[in-house]
Amino acid sequence: MQLGSAEDEDLLVSRAKAGDRGAFEELVRRHADRLHAVVLRFVADREAAEEVTQEAFLRAWRGIGRFQGRSRFFTWLYRIGINEAKRRAAREPAEQTISLDEEPILEAPDWSEAPDTRAQQSDLRRVLESSIRALPVKYRAPVILRDVEGLTTEEAAEVMDLSQAAFKSRLHRARLLLRRALDEHFREGGE
Amino acid sequence: MIRRFLGRRRYMREHRWTHAHLSEYLDGQLGPDQRERVEAHVGICPHCSRVLATLRRMLEGLHMLGAQPQTGVANGVIERLRDED
Repeated sequence: MQLGSAEDEDLLVSRAKAGDRGAFEELVRRHADRLHAVVLRFVADREAAEEVTQEAFLRAWRGIGRFQGRSRFFTWLYRIGINEAKRRAAREPAEQTISLDEEPILEAPDWSEAPDTRAQQSDLRRVLESSIRALPVKYRAPVILRDVEGLTTEEAAEVMDLSQAAFKSRLHRARLLLRRALDEHFREGGE
Repeated sequence: MIRRFLGRRRYMREHRWTHAHLSEYLDGQLGPDQRERVEAHVGICPHCSRVLATLRRMLEGLHMLGAQPQTGVANGVIERLRDED
C-alpha cells in the first residue's frame, strides 16, 4: 500500500509523538478516506462509519505516545479502527450471515468468465458487497484488508495481530465462504 | 484392484492438498514445485478447476471494490481533534 513515502511518514509520526498536532492532522488527511472505506464494511451506514473513523483517530492521537514504531503507522491505525468498528457492529442488530459450510454447490452455473456488460459488472459488485457484509466478522477483515484494500499478507497479518501462517489460513477459509455465497447467488439466477 | 485403490488414495491426497493451497497459488506464494503440484491436479480435477476459476474471478471483482471515491472524512476528524483541545 502506497500512501506517501515511509520515511516521510516516519517523520510525521515522530513529530506527532512529540505533540505536533499539525503533523497528526497530515496523517489524518493521508489515511482517513481509506480507513473510512474499511470501517464502512463493518458497520451499518456511512454516518456510523464516519463516527467510528473519528473515534479511531482520537484514540490514535491520545495513544500515539505508546506507538513503538515496530509496525507501519497505518497498520497500527487500522487495528484501532477495526477493533472500534467491531465494538460498534456488536451493538447493531445482527445481520444474516453466510453459512460456514464450505461444500460446493454442484448445480451452480459457471460464473468464472468476466461479465461482459456494465449491468453484469454492477451485479457482481453488488453481490460482492452484500456477501462481504454477510461474512462472520472474523472472516470479513482478512478479505477486506488483503483483497479489497490491497495490503500485503505481512501488513494484513500485522493489522489482525496474527502470524502470517494463521492469517493465510483464515484468508483462504474466508475466500471459500465468499465464493460459496456467490455460487448460491448465481444458482438462484443472480436476483 | 489394489492399483486402482492406491491411485484413488493418491488422487484424494492431492485433492485435499490442492484445495488447501489454492489461495496461496493465486497469490503467487508457492514455490515452483508446489505450483506444479497444484497445476497437475487442477488439470485432472473438474472440481478444483472450477473452484480455482471462480476464486480468480471473485478476486478480480474484489480488487475492483477497492477504488473508493474520496469522501472528505478527514475534515470531520480534524474538527473533532481541534474540539478535544
